Amino acid sequence: MKLKGKRAVVTGGGQGIGLGIVTAFINEGASVITCGRRNRPATLPSGCEYVTLDVADPIAVKEFAASQPAADILVNNAGVQVEKTVTESTDEDWNSVIGVNARGVFNLCRDFIPVMNAGASIINIGSISGNIADPSMALYNASKAFVHGLTRSIAVDHGPQVRCNAICPGWIETGMLEAGFATASSPDAAMQDALDRHPVKRFGKPEDIASMAVWLASDDAAFATGQLFTIDGGMTASSPLNPGLF
Amino acid sequence: MKLDGKIALVTGGRGGIGRAVVKRLMQEGATVYAADLTEQGSLKLHDDDGSHFIKLDVTSEQDSISAFSAVKAQHGKLHILVNAAGIEIEKTIEQTTLAEWNQSFAVNATGTFLTSKYSLPLLRAAAESGISSSIINFGSYDGFIADPGLAAYCATKGAVHALTRAMACDHGPEGIRVNAICPGYIDTPMLQSFFEGDGSGGEGGNIDSLQQAVRDVHPMRTYGTPEDIANLVNWLASDEARYASGQLWVLDGGLSAQVQQMKL
Repeated sequence: MKLKGKRAVVTGGGQGIGLGIVTAFINEGASVITCGRRNRPATLPSGCEYVTLDVADPIAVKEFAASQPAADILVNNAGVQVEKTVTESTDEDWNSVIGVNARGVFNLCRDFIPVMNAGASIINIGSISGNIADPSMALYNASKAFVHGLTRSIAVDHGPQVRCNAICPGWIETGMLEAGFATASSPDAAMQDALDRHPVKRFGKPEDIASMAVWLASDDAAFATGQLFTIDGGMTASSPLNPGLF
Repeated sequence: MKLDGKIALVTGGRGGIGRAVVKRLMQEGATVYAADLTEQGSLKLHDDDGSHFIKLDVTSEQDSISAFSAVKAQHGKLHILVNAAGIEIEKTIEQTTLAEWNQSFAVNATGTFLTSKYSLPLLRAAAESGISSSIINFGSYDGFIADPGLAAYCATKGAVHALTRAMACDHGPEGIRVNAICPGYIDTPMLQSFFEGDGSGGEGGNIDSLQQAVRDVHPMRTYGTPEDIANLVNWLASDEARYASGQLWVLDGGLSAQVQQMKL
């Protein structure tokens, strides 16, 4: 077990990628607490502690951190997305997306770094969209670029105490993906087209991200810091031209 | 005029992009040598554009030595070297023969090495005036992300990118700036041949619909022209770019700024 004896804090662990990470951490022997804005989700493994917390609220995060034992692993996974361009986005959209995705990561890092054990690992969930743009996802794309920049800053500033890396997932099957295809004019064709854009010919699973998170959290990754690790089945390694065009 | 009094040599100078670069540099007042395998290059017709033709196979060390000897004899210096000669082989690594692989590297990577190597004394001589001289290599957006079935091409362009940074480090102190332009889809004979490719033209074999499909993937909804590239060459060659070095300049209408365009 790679994480035996380690204490992990994972935000947004009730579903999708976060749930995959929580499950993998528990399987590797870590003691895990996660959080969400709602009550404890039924999907959460029974061994996982849960607290209701809005990561965008700095006072609530400070109180949460003060209540916790020293942590070895912090995973900033909680995130929201709003599918709009800049001109469509409202102040509420800004507060929601930047509040959770950017300020939330900052809040957790600010209050946990001082109380983490030596050799601790922070893992932020960035996105391929923080490097290149998804259409009509302006605030989301920008919030993930913020995460990437903050990741490097933490690695540089707090290097002796903690390691800090980001995972940049591509298209992961989290329920949102399937919902997106359902709205396409031809769902089957849309899914096939999307699959064809992945050299591995499948979408990602939360476990694919979780296994990278386990590695980054473990002492196997003791020299890895300040980096962005893309896990997208090869999608962004290939040109965005339509599959089969040539 | 931005390039008054400057001496320039453009490899692939009678090809699609090279031709436009030569024309633009001349418009800006430079004396331009168009170096290519033949006077026509990859274009069917050649109008006399007033450039000086130099027969140059960039894979030949002797050709490079001869070409820059000729420039030295005439001018004693060179301000601008544009390495625009390039070839593209449309194959995966499994389909690519060793000879094709070697030829790709010989033109795209070794060619850039040889012309840069043998022009350095002339570029240094130009930089002695206190104004930097400029090497402009041709990388590609394919040096960052891959188009299918272009393995050797992608690899050669990655090599050009790394060589660009290395040369910028080594020769910056001598007043020589080195940059690479990384074009996306540019309307050239190379692109047309890529479209025609195996004749399938993708689905249905209609070149027009294929071209439209390619345009539509671009945020700017078009692919570029050789003149678009020449505009950037002109700037990088000029004294306005005196602090620009060691960089890879992607010029692709936004193509590589985006995540794959899923059809949702």
